[in-house]
Amino acid sequence: MSDESQSGKKSAVPKQVGSELIIPVAAILFSIYYFWTIQSIPWEAQVSALLVGLVLIGLCLVFIGRTLIQKARGEVALGFSQLLNPAAFIPKRLILLALTLGYILIIPFAGFTITTFGFLAAAMLTLSNGKKMGFIIFLSAILSFGGYLLFIAAFKTRFPMGPVESALKGLF
Amino acid sequence: MEFNLGIFLDEFARTFTFWWVILPALFLGLIVGAIPGFSAANTIIILLPLTLAMDPEVGLIFMIALYASSRLGAGIPAILVNIPGTAGAAATPLDGYPMTKQGRGQQALSISFVSSVLGGLLTTIIALLAMPWLSQVAYYLHSVEMIVIMIFGISLIASIAAKDTLKGLIAGFFGLMIGYIGADVVYETPRGTFGFLELYDKVPLIPALVGLFAISEAFSVLEGESILSKRGKEAMQKAGWAEAWEGVRLALSKWWHIIWTSLIGLVIGVVPGAGAAIAAFVAYQQSKTFSKTPELYGTGHLEGLVAPESANNGVTSGTLVPLLVIGVPGGATAAIMAVVLQYHGVTMGPELFENHAHLAYGAFTAMAVTYAIMLLTILPLARYMSKITVVSTVYMCPIIIAFTLVGSFVPRAYVFDMYLALAFGVIGYIARKTGYHVAAILIGVILGPLLENYFLRALRISQGDVMVIFSSTIGNILWVCLVISLLLPWYMDRRRKADRLETN
Repeated sequence: MSDESQSGKKSAVPKQVGSELIIPVAAILFSIYYFWTIQSIPWEAQVSALLVGLVLIGLCLVFIGRTLIQKARGEVALGFSQLLNPAAFIPKRLILLALTLGYILIIPFAGFTITTFGFLAAAMLTLSNGKKMGFIIFLSAILSFGGYLLFIAAFKTRFPMGPVESALKGLF
Repeated sequence: MEFNLGIFLDEFARTFTFWWVILPALFLGLIVGAIPGFSAANTIIILLPLTLAMDPEVGLIFMIALYASSRLGAGIPAILVNIPGTAGAAATPLDGYPMTKQGRGQQALSISFVSSVLGGLLTTIIALLAMPWLSQVAYYLHSVEMIVIMIFGISLIASIAAKDTLKGLIAGFFGLMIGYIGADVVYETPRGTFGFLELYDKVPLIPALVGLFAISEAFSVLEGESILSKRGKEAMQKAGWAEAWEGVRLALSKWWHIIWTSLIGLVIGVVPGAGAAIAAFVAYQQSKTFSKTPELYGTGHLEGLVAPESANNGVTSGTLVPLLVIGVPGGATAAIMAVVLQYHGVTMGPELFENHAHLAYGAFTAMAVTYAIMLLTILPLARYMSKITVVSTVYMCPIIIAFTLVGSFVPRAYVFDMYLALAFGVIGYIARKTGYHVAAILIGVILGPLLENYFLRALRISQGDVMVIFSSTIGNILWVCLVISLLLPWYMDRRRKADRLETN
């Protein structure tokens, strides 16, 4: 979506490609770290990763070089709008990311049913700007309890267990 | 082990009488296939108390029906919400999801189902007839030949990243390096693990799949009201039975494509360890290479959806061949089936055809009957399941995040795997936003450990001589095929351009 809008403005404003360098830079750093971890192991166990890692570093350097040449010619800029646009959604994305992190932190203690209910309700209310609160709470309850019935009670799946799962264990 | 038509027909008719086992297994397979983390293998493990208690024949039919239908189920979320249910369906969204975004979700599902069912049915029958010869394939493929097959897989990255090959190669090789994380198989030395014990056993595939496809997609699509464009939403709301039928018609018009791509799946399925993901991507690449319209791949192209779906269902029957004929399972699900049958005292290999012929042939007839019954489910499934795409992202994104994250917990029961899925989600989000293909990263993660294992084995055998990779006749033939398959798209592209210039 952002690509299309970017290309429309191509002639007036140079395309911001700074964010396209994140993956190549991360790949180079990871490869160097990986090489550091294999320096003391036998050659046979190094060779495959060395070949792949060196090719990866080479490819990344070519890409970074290409981007810098384009920048020198004034064809592109090194901004991060490609990653962050549309800016209006940045707060919602960050809140959703925080909620997701919270979901993973809490689920080992509170179990699947309660944590999923809380996460679904909070995330849906955030994304809907607080509208349809009653419906969202009802839907979150149905989905989390339905998930419990299907995955834990029926399929006996290894989901994180908590007070609800322990309390209902005798029933199902 | 001679083929006996009488036994085959008798088995086929008899297997239909087990419809009461096949139907519930079929629907269970569709559900578990569609949920990332709930593969057929995991489900069969969970249901071991049930399958072990069954008569061996009933148990085998149940497992096979579940296995075959889960393959079809994995394509449903891949097409509708860009989240493959299993790695085998990772090539399906390349063209399936763009079709959905255009409001052609129903059509895409019908095409996928027809390709899967016909591809699966055809390869099951071929596997049954050609079992003695197909089983020999596994004998001829050693570490050197497998290295070439893996590099075949890596070459697919370039075909996926058609817009910017350099970015595609970076994504793919980055994935390979991630796939190399973990303790090496010979010396058990941890490499690139950041000190996490949970990564000693390599990067688990399900969290990678969940993060790269599901989490990153949920964070990407939340800026729209739904995953569909405005025009796509209108088209989807108007869609009726006619669209589902149109999908069936379109898929049937590509019957030849279904045949040859499903055969790719069958042959790759016979090779132990190769798997559905490689088959689907190889079929996609070959389909694009020989297509008259390769530029349409990735935009919602019919052939780009038919190829991976036919191929990954071709793998299903292929994995059973080495299991039944030589006792070597072709994949995880086949290995679990072997355990169940061994529990009942059934020995795999040539003896199986002497002592339990009805079980040996019955495995394939059960698969054929399952696919035949699945034919009846195509239209209703396509008609009603596609409606999920009109659900608002307000509800869709949190549901995807919660249920797929917890799905990444299931295989190993490590909370760490949920964090890992989130980390892959961040990588996937950056990749999507900046034009790096997440499927290329996933191919790398899948192939990395396989390539390394075969490379290490080849080096051990040759006492460290790297030239061992050119030491086998079959391997060298495969190298030539690889070079041809890499040069052919370039040559055909040039020829097409020359033809266009001439016509202009």
